[in-house]
Amino acid sequence: MNHNNGQKHVPKTTGHAWDGDLQEYNNPVPKWWLVAFYISVAAAVIYWFLYPAWPVGGSYTKGFDTITYVNDKGETKTTHWNTRALLMKETNEAVAAQKPYYTKVANTPFEKVTLDPELNSFVVSAGKQLFSDNCAACHQQGGAGKVGFAPNLTDDDWLYGGKFVNIQHTIIGGRHGYMPPFAEVLNDQQIKQLSDYVLSLSKIVVDPASAQAGNALFHSETAACYYCHGDNAKGRQEIGSANLTDRIWLWANVPGANTIADKEAAVQSVIRKGLNRGVMPAWQDRLSADQIKLLTVYVHELGGGK
Amino acid sequence: MAATEISSSEQYNFDIVKKFSIMAVVWGLVGMSVGVWIASELAWPFLNFDIPYITFGRLRPVHTSSVIFGFGGSALFATSYYIVQRTCQARLISDGMATFTFWGWQAAIMLGGISYMLGFSQSREYAEMEWPLDILIEIVWVTYLAVFVGTIMRRKQPHIYVANWFFLAFILATALLHTFNNLAVPVSLFSMKSYSLFAGTQDAMTQWWYGHNAVGFFLTAAFLGMMYYFVPKQAGRPIFSYRLSIIHFWALGFLYMWVGAHHLHWTALPDWTSTLAATFSIMLLLPSWGGMINGIMTLSGAWDKLRTDPIMRFLIVALSFYGMSTFEGPLMALKDVNALSHYTDWTVGHVHSGALGWVAMITFGSLYHMIPKLWNTEMWSKKMIEVHFWFATIGALLYITAMWISGITQGLMWRAFDQYGNLQYSFVESVAAMHPFYAMRAIGGMFFVTGMLLMFINVMMTVRQANAATAKVTAAHRAKMAGMASA
Repeated sequence: MNHNNGQKHVPKTTGHAWDGDLQEYNNPVPKWWLVAFYISVAAAVIYWFLYPAWPVGGSYTKGFDTITYVNDKGETKTTHWNTRALLMKETNEAVAAQKPYYTKVANTPFEKVTLDPELNSFVVSAGKQLFSDNCAACHQQGGAGKVGFAPNLTDDDWLYGGKFVNIQHTIIGGRHGYMPPFAEVLNDQQIKQLSDYVLSLSKIVVDPASAQAGNALFHSETAACYYCHGDNAKGRQEIGSANLTDRIWLWANVPGANTIADKEAAVQSVIRKGLNRGVMPAWQDRLSADQIKLLTVYVHELGGGK
Repeated sequence: MAATEISSSEQYNFDIVKKFSIMAVVWGLVGMSVGVWIASELAWPFLNFDIPYITFGRLRPVHTSSVIFGFGGSALFATSYYIVQRTCQARLISDGMATFTFWGWQAAIMLGGISYMLGFSQSREYAEMEWPLDILIEIVWVTYLAVFVGTIMRRKQPHIYVANWFFLAFILATALLHTFNNLAVPVSLFSMKSYSLFAGTQDAMTQWWYGHNAVGFFLTAAFLGMMYYFVPKQAGRPIFSYRLSIIHFWALGFLYMWVGAHHLHWTALPDWTSTLAATFSIMLLLPSWGGMINGIMTLSGAWDKLRTDPIMRFLIVALSFYGMSTFEGPLMALKDVNALSHYTDWTVGHVHSGALGWVAMITFGSLYHMIPKLWNTEMWSKKMIEVHFWFATIGALLYITAMWISGITQGLMWRAFDQYGNLQYSFVESVAAMHPFYAMRAIGGMFFVTGMLLMFINVMMTVRQANAATAKVTAAHRAKMAGMASA
C-alpha cells in the first residue's frame, strides 16, 4: 500500500484505507468550530423565545416580542410580533402621515394647488408614484406615450381637452376612441386622395391634385370626414376626434415612415380599418377621489395642461 | 502501473463512468451556452427575435435543467459510480441497470428541454418537467439507488468510506423530494398537462421544501461526496478529520430539511414557519463549513501544490466559493436581510456563486482527475486546464459581482422613500438601472462558457489520443501473436 506522505510525525489515522491510499486522520473537531456551532444554536433558541416559532397543537408559540399599532378603526392594539401587524403598523403610520396633504389637496381648487409650493411638491412626489403604478404601462414612464398605442400627455394636443376638469373626467370614466372603417365605403383611389389631403394638412409635400381631390372628398357627404373631424379638420374634443392639422400622430405612424408612399400607407391603413382600440379604462373604482384629484394635477403638469 | 489499470478496468465497470463523464462535459457546454444566451436576452431583449421557443421564460428551465441535472447530474452519476466501486473494491451489481440509468437520465433531460421549448411546464422551479418525465426520472432514480446500495453491500471491507455516505444521503433525499414535490393529477392519460396535489401556501411550501433541498442534497451533499474522494486523492494526503466528517454529515442532513421556507419570508407563510426556517439556516452555517474545513485542511502541509497543480486549484477554489456561499445563505435567510435581498438579483448571484464557484469548479477538478485514469492516459493539454481555471474564475467573479451590485441596487431602489413617504423610484426605473450589470453578467457568463469549451476540446482530444494509443497497442499485440503463430 502506497502512503504518499513522507512525514516522520503524523497524526493518527483511523486505521482504515480505501482504494489504495485513501485514509482519514482522527483529528478532533476544531474547537472554534464547535464553539461557533454552539453559539449559532444559542442564537436560534433566543430567536425562538422572541418570535412565533414552534407549532403546538392547533396553535404555535407566540414569543415574547410585541408590536403596538393603530388599526383601521383608530384603536391602539398590542399583540405578539407578527408580520401582519407589522404591515398594518407601517402602512397605517404612512397613510396617517400623508393624510393632511391629501385632505388639503381635496379641499383646494385645482389652480391653487399648483400655486402652493408645498402642495405642489407633494403632488409631484405622490403623483409620480400613482402615475408609475397605474398609467405608465400605457402612457410610458414620464407620460411621453407611444405612437400606435397611447397618447403623449406631455404635448399640447388633447383629444378630450386638457383642462383640469377634462383630465379628471377622463381618469374617472376612462375613454374609448372610435373611428369607423371606410374600406367598404370608399375605393382605393378615394382613400389615396384622402390620405394625401390629411398629409398635406401637416405640411407634408404630396401630389397637389390628389390632395385637392381629397379635400373635396373630406367635406363631401360620400366620406363625411368633417362630421367628426370638423370643417377645419381640427377635431372635436367633445367626442375625442383627432386634430389632423397639428402634425401630431397617434395611430398612423407617419413620423416613423421614411418615404411618402409609406406615410400614405400608414394613413390609409387607419382610414381603411378605422379604429376601435383607443381604450382607456375607468379608474373611479380603483383609485380614491383624492388620488384622482392629485393625479389630475400631476398629469396637467406633465407639460401640456391648458 | 499500467498493469494495475488494465486489471482495474476489468474489475470495475468504467464504461458507464466514461459515458456519464462525456455527457457531463457535453451538457455543461450546452447548458452554460443557453445560460449565456438568456443572460444576453435580459441585457439585449431583441435577442428573443420574437420566436416563442427561445424566449427567456422557455429557455430558462432549459438552462437550469441542463446545468443542474445534465451537467451536475451526469457528473454525479459518473463520480459516484467511480468512487463506490473503487472504495468498496466491488464492481457495480448490474451493468444492465447502470446502463439503463444512463439512457433514462439522458432521455429525461433531452425530452425535458424539448418540452420546455414547446411550452410544457409544471411551473415548479427546478422541477418543471411534466408528469410523464417525472415518472421516467422516478424509475431511473430507484434503479440508481438499487445499483448504489447493492454495490455498497458487496464491499470488500467493513467500513464505508465517507464519500459514499454523502452519495447515499443525496440519492435517498432526492428520491423523497422528487416524489412528493411532483405529486400531481394529469388532466387525462394522453395529456402532458397536470395539476399539483397542493394548493396555495402549501403548494409554495412544498415547492421550496423541494427547491432548497435540491440545493442541499443534490448540489451540496453529493458534491461533498465528490470532494471527499478527489481532494485527498489529488493531494495524496488523508482527510483532515474523520470525527468532523461524521458530525457535519449528520448535522447537515438533519438541519437542511427545515430551511426551505426561508425562500418564502414575508409572504402568506405563517410566521412560525418563517422563524424556524431562519433559525435552522443559521444553525446550518457551521455544519456546512465542516466540509470546507475538512477539504481545505486536508491540503495543509501540501500548499505548494496550489502553485503547480491546476486540478488542485480547481478543487480548493471550489471549496472557497462553497464556504462563501454557505456563509451568504444563512445571512440572506434572516428576515431583515431577506427583506432587502428577496426578489432581487442578489439571489441570482448567490445561486451562481454556489453553482459556478462550487458545483462547477469541484466538477471540473474531479473530471480532470478522473478522465485520464478512465482512459489510462494523460490529459491532452495541461496548459488548457490552466487557462480553463482562469476563465472560470474570472467569469464566476464577474458574474457574482455584477449580481451583488445589481441586486443590492434593486433592493435599495424598491424601498427608497422620499420626504413624503412616497416611493422614490418606479419599478421600470429600477429595471433601467440594471442594464449595465446585466451586460456585465452576460460577459462573465461568456468567460465561463469559454473555459467550458476549452474543457470540451481537451476532453475530446484526450479520448482520441487514448483510443489511438489503444489501437496501436492492440495492433502491436496482434502482430506479435501473428508472428508467434507463424513461427
